[in-house]
Amino acid sequence: MEYFLHILILVAIYVILATSLNLIAGYAGMLSIAHAALYGMGAYVAALMALKLHSPFLVNLLFAVLLTGGLGLLLGIPALRVRDDYFVVVTFGFQIIMFNVLNNWISFTGGPMGLAGVPQPSIFGWSISSRIDFLILGFCLGCLSIVICWRLGRSPFGRVLKALREDEVFAMAAGKNVAASKLVVFLTAASLAATAGVMYAYYVSFIDPTSFGFTESVLIISIVIVGGAGNLWGSVLGAVLLISLPELLRFVGLPGVFAANVRQILYGALLILFVMWRPQGLLGEYRFQKAEAKE
Amino acid sequence: MTWQLLVNGAVSASMYVLTGVGFAAIYSALRFFHFAHAAVVMTGAYVAFALFQPLGFPIWAAVAGGIVVSACIGCGMELVVYRPLRSKGAPSLVLLLASLGMYVVLQNVISMVFGDDAKSIRITEVKEGLNLLGARITPIQIVSIATGTVALIGTGTLLRFTRQGKAMKAMASDCELSVASGIDTTRVALFAFAVGSALAGVSGILIGIDAAVTPMMGMNVLLMGVIAVIVGGVRSIIGIAAAAVVLGMAQQFGAWYMGPEWQEAAAFAVLLVFLLFFPRGFSRIKEGKATV
Amino acid sequence: MTDALLEVSGLEKSFNGVTALADFSCLLAEGETLGIIGPNGAGKTTLFNVITGFLLPDKGIVLFKGQALLGRPAYKVALTGIARTFQDLRLIQGISVLDNVLLMFPDQPGERLRNTLFRWWACTRREKEITEESLKLLADAGLVEKAHDLAENLSYGQQKLLSLVCCLASGAKLLLLDEPVAGIAPEMAEKILGMIRSLPGEGKSAILIEHNMGAIWDVCDRVIFMDAGRKISEGLPGEVRNDPKVIEAYLD
Repeated sequence: MEYFLHILILVAIYVILATSLNLIAGYAGMLSIAHAALYGMGAYVAALMALKLHSPFLVNLLFAVLLTGGLGLLLGIPALRVRDDYFVVVTFGFQIIMFNVLNNWISFTGGPMGLAGVPQPSIFGWSISSRIDFLILGFCLGCLSIVICWRLGRSPFGRVLKALREDEVFAMAAGKNVAASKLVVFLTAASLAATAGVMYAYYVSFIDPTSFGFTESVLIISIVIVGGAGNLWGSVLGAVLLISLPELLRFVGLPGVFAANVRQILYGALLILFVMWRPQGLLGEYRFQKAEAKE
Repeated sequence: MTWQLLVNGAVSASMYVLTGVGFAAIYSALRFFHFAHAAVVMTGAYVAFALFQPLGFPIWAAVAGGIVVSACIGCGMELVVYRPLRSKGAPSLVLLLASLGMYVVLQNVISMVFGDDAKSIRITEVKEGLNLLGARITPIQIVSIATGTVALIGTGTLLRFTRQGKAMKAMASDCELSVASGIDTTRVALFAFAVGSALAGVSGILIGIDAAVTPMMGMNVLLMGVIAVIVGGVRSIIGIAAAAVVLGMAQQFGAWYMGPEWQEAAAFAVLLVFLLFFPRGFSRIKEGKATV
Repeated sequence: MTDALLEVSGLEKSFNGVTALADFSCLLAEGETLGIIGPNGAGKTTLFNVITGFLLPDKGIVLFKGQALLGRPAYKVALTGIARTFQDLRLIQGISVLDNVLLMFPDQPGERLRNTLFRWWACTRREKEITEESLKLLADAGLVEKAHDLAENLSYGQQKLLSLVCCLASGAKLLLLDEPVAGIAPEMAEKILGMIRSLPGEGKSAILIEHNMGAIWDVCDRVIFMDAGRKISEGLPGEVRNDPKVIEAYLD
């Protein structure tokens, strides 16, 4: 039963990560492999504040969201001038730098040893200690992310995003401030990713850079692609499937030491397979075709 | 100290240039970012390591083996994944996604087979290193720089004088026209992968001999290689070499003055400056500004 | 200073030594339909790109309703009340016909994040308004049955019709139409021309680029003939048609 709750909590975290990345990559069509960096930023800000300032959970959550949102905004700025594959390179660099900062700035982040002993959170007297408590927290944050992404997707703002992902020129000629829209998307997605990071930091109470590296970013984009880029429920479904399926491997008798590797191979393989045979994923519609390609 | 930093920078640059030129060869022929190149770098290093240490082959055979396997893996990726995708009309972002998937798979396979700890291809005892006008440099580092230079000259010659090379340059300029003039683009693409992946293998082996062989080694050097390509120009080997040197230096100086955790940031800053302020007449696709 | 809706003067633009616009000037009054003709490469689309803010000229002035446009980003130019179609027919293929039209309406509070999350009642109200308006426009154009189809499923002619409907939805006072009837069947062309003819009645002005001479003579109040970035002839359709310079340019 505990194990089952653990899986659900992880699913909640990845639902937040996938739905937020879907905003950037699915709705706005800007592929990013830096999402784990934003996730990590949220986790580290919360952990550092909890450990060094002993500030309460909600305060840490707020700061994590603000700071990571700001970082997301920074990440979005190159997106205004640089497109598609070149932008992916920018996000790639961003991700590598974040990992190296977390890994090498030993005095501040603890380096490869990470940060341990993040205290139990409490919200207005409700002490979150058991798995059920964390699941409730995760469920709330997950629903928050879903609701925000759902509202955005179905709104005129979402319409503008779908327009600019296919044809920025058309969107501009229609009077849409494409640059501002992109920045807003990055800000929102980064803020949501931060909540996942905070959740993770408190849940496992020990964080280290390897949880927020390049392969993690690829995992999150895999979830989005497999579920269907541009479809909110696709991201949710993708998270549920890709987080729970590998757990079934345990019952197949795989040596525990290889579990992590096999999980990742599964993600990579699924990404390749879907991209080759069903790029729109299970529920999506977007296939990263751009209007400019017609020129 | 500055001189030592410059020497170190030159050593790093030689590895970046090898990775970068290989990457550029593939990008210029096929117009997409083959991120799995990092996995090829790693494969070359691990295969050479495996042939040399556990299996006891002489170093030259291990190196040759590593290069050959790298070229094969690269060609394998083209044949199994990229070519079918292209024939379905997949856009370059989709190819990029596939390359990410392949990287993850290959990195984890290697991690499972060899473990995550750092290994080294020990040719000789760890020596003090030679003294070059006051800076330390080990023999293998000199070999690195020399190999980098030779590889550059070799690739440049290949592109300029062989039929395949010229075909690659034609494809880079205008793909449709190349097809129309009868160039067998699929064979040229395979050739680009073979050459590019072989260079990646060389790069990985050199890093393995000089420093260490780890499952993460590919990413960092790939980032540098890609930055060198973007800054230096996809079609200019000299440009890539110059950019690699600048990056190597920037990294060393950045690490020295700001701390090792910021060394990639220095290179990344160079990238951003170029992407945002010096589009250098690159194709319009790169700029975010709309053109009608 | 005139009361012209649009005033363009002294535009110059070269690319790599090729002259796209050379000392080009023109005026457009309210309610006027101006046609621009000329051989390929004459600079017609470049003119549109300059006016709509996608291109900065080397020299010149563009005034719309008395305000200077040059230097403003393209989206701001669009918001002053200028809508355009594109020679290579741009639409958002991946969304529905209705969504394409809905996109064009100005003043949508739902386009701002703050409103989507915290003031959704204002958003819903405006969304209802523009949906009704869109369906009406689509019905007038004869496309309403296709409202929920993806734009990519329309025929070429229907897509051209849709891009005109989009211009109408934006409420723009000035429409810049780049080859609105090129390459489509006569019945569809007639439908589009009919809509263009009724623009003055709705207080809108238009500039048309076309190669289809019949359309130009039929629909335009005035015509300008351009070649190599220069205005060669200007006047009533009949005058320009018979202008020896124009005849000569076409015979060349």
